[in-house]
Amino acid sequence: MKKTTVSFAVLGALFAFGSQLAHAAPDWSKVPKRDIQVFHAGVTPIEWVMKKSDHSGRTGLTKGESCVGCHEEKGGLNFDMKRLAGKDLEPKGAPKTMNFPVAVQAAYDKDNAYIRLSFKAPTGGADASDKENDVKVAVMFANDKVTAAAGDKSVAGALVGCWATCHADARSMPGADDKKTKYTKDGAYELMQWKSAKGAKAVDGSVTDKRNMEGGTTGVKADGENKGGTYTVTFTRKLNGALAEGKAAPFGFAVHADHASGRFHHVSMGYTIGFGADGDIKATKQ
Amino acid sequence: MSDNASGFWAKLKRPSTKYSLLGLLSVGFISGIFFWGGFNTAMEATNTLEFCISCHEMKDNVYQEYKTTIHYSNRTGVRAYCSDCHVPKDWGHKMMRKIQASKEVYGKITGVIDTPEKFEGHRLEMATREWDRMKKSDSRECRNCHSFGAMDIEKQKLRASKMHKIGQDEKKTCIDCHKGIAHKKPKGMKEDDDE
Repeated sequence: MKKTTVSFAVLGALFAFGSQLAHAAPDWSKVPKRDIQVFHAGVTPIEWVMKKSDHSGRTGLTKGESCVGCHEEKGGLNFDMKRLAGKDLEPKGAPKTMNFPVAVQAAYDKDNAYIRLSFKAPTGGADASDKENDVKVAVMFANDKVTAAAGDKSVAGALVGCWATCHADARSMPGADDKKTKYTKDGAYELMQWKSAKGAKAVDGSVTDKRNMEGGTTGVKADGENKGGTYTVTFTRKLNGALAEGKAAPFGFAVHADHASGRFHHVSMGYTIGFGADGDIKATKQ
Repeated sequence: MSDNASGFWAKLKRPSTKYSLLGLLSVGFISGIFFWGGFNTAMEATNTLEFCISCHEMKDNVYQEYKTTIHYSNRTGVRAYCSDCHVPKDWGHKMMRKIQASKEVYGKITGVIDTPEKFEGHRLEMATREWDRMKKSDSRECRNCHSFGAMDIEKQKLRASKMHKIGQDEKKTCIDCHKGIAHKKPKGMKEDDDE
C-alpha cells in the first residue's frame, strides 16, 4: 500500500478513537445520586394549582415560593395523599402506588449533558392504554420565558416544574378533547423521552403551543435497561438550548409505569439542574 | 283591667303584709339563681352535639362530613363540637346567635333543606353565610382554641409553617385559608383574587 494511504488510515483511526474519548459515557459510580420522589398527580392541572379554593398553596406561588419549597420535606413528599388519591382528584381511581423514589444522576462535559434515572417501576396502575410500552421516562427542561397564569398575576415557570404544560383541557383529562396535547402559554420546554418497546426511537422534541414529539435540536440518545423490575435509563443530549455551562435550568421528569399513558404518569415537582452552577442537582463535570 | 281589691294584679301591686322585705328579697334572689341556672342549662343544652344532630338535616349531611376530619378525631383526643365553631362563647354574641337561630327553627318546620338535593342546593348559601360571619368576627370561634401566639411554628410541617408565616405577615384570619376544614366545600365558590 502507498505510504500516504497508510498514514491517512492511521490518522483516521486515531481521530475516531480520540473523538470517542471526548464523548465517553461518565463513570456513573463516581456521580452522586439524589432520590427524588415522583407521585401520581391526578387531575391537578395548573388551573387547579392556581385556584385558591382548590389549592390554598397558590398564595405561596404568587409570593415566589416553589412547589418543592412546601411539598418536599426531609427528602420525602408532604401532600395530603388521601385527598390526592380520592375520587375528587382522581375520578378514575388512584394507582396502587401513589409515589416512589427515582435516583437521579447528572454529568456533563464540553458538549453533552448526561442524565441517568433509576427506579423500581410500580405495578397496579390505573390506566393501561399504552400496549407497546411497559414503561416510558420523559424529562423536560424549561427555557426562561415559561410562565404560569395566576389570575391577573404571573408566576415564573421555574417555580412550577412541568406544570405550565399541564392543562385541564389536555387529552386524558376529564371531558377533554382527545387530540389536544400538553401546551404552554409562554416559552417552551425541551422534551426527551425513552420508551421501553424494543427498537423504540428516543424522543427529541419540545412543548410549545402543543407537544412536538420530534424536531428537537438536542440530539437526544436514550438507553434503558430493566434488571428484574429496576429500570435504569440514561439520556445523552447536547449541552445547548436551555442547557449551558454556568447555568441552572428548571426541569422535571415523569415515569409512565405499567403501560400508562396521558395523565397517568408519576411526576416530579420542578427542580433545577446546574451545569457548573448551583442547582437542586449539580451535574458532575467530566 | 279589674280594679278588684282582691284581684291578682292588685295583690302583686300591694305591699306585703305577711312577709318581711328580707324574706322576699332572699327568696327572690335564690329563685333567680335557680331560674338563671335553669335558663342557662336549657340554652347550653341547645349547644350540645346531640341537640344539633337531632335534626336529620344536620345528622345526615354535615355531621357525617365532620366525622372524617381532624376536628372530630386526632392524635391528642381534643374534639371540637358544633357549638365550638358555630356559636360564640361570650354571652352577648351567644344570645344574638340564639335569637337568630329561631330562623333555623322556622326553616326546619318548613323543610327548607330536608332532602339531600335541597341541602346541596343551599350548601353554597349556608357556607358563605358562615364564612362571612367568621371573617367579620376575625375567626373568633377558631380563636377559642387556636392562636398564632400559641403556635410552635418549628413543630409544624414546612407546608403549614410557611403558610402560617404568610398569614401572620398579611394579617389574614383563619377562615381565609381554612374553608372546608370540617365540612365539604360547596360547588361554585367565588374566587377572591386578592392575592
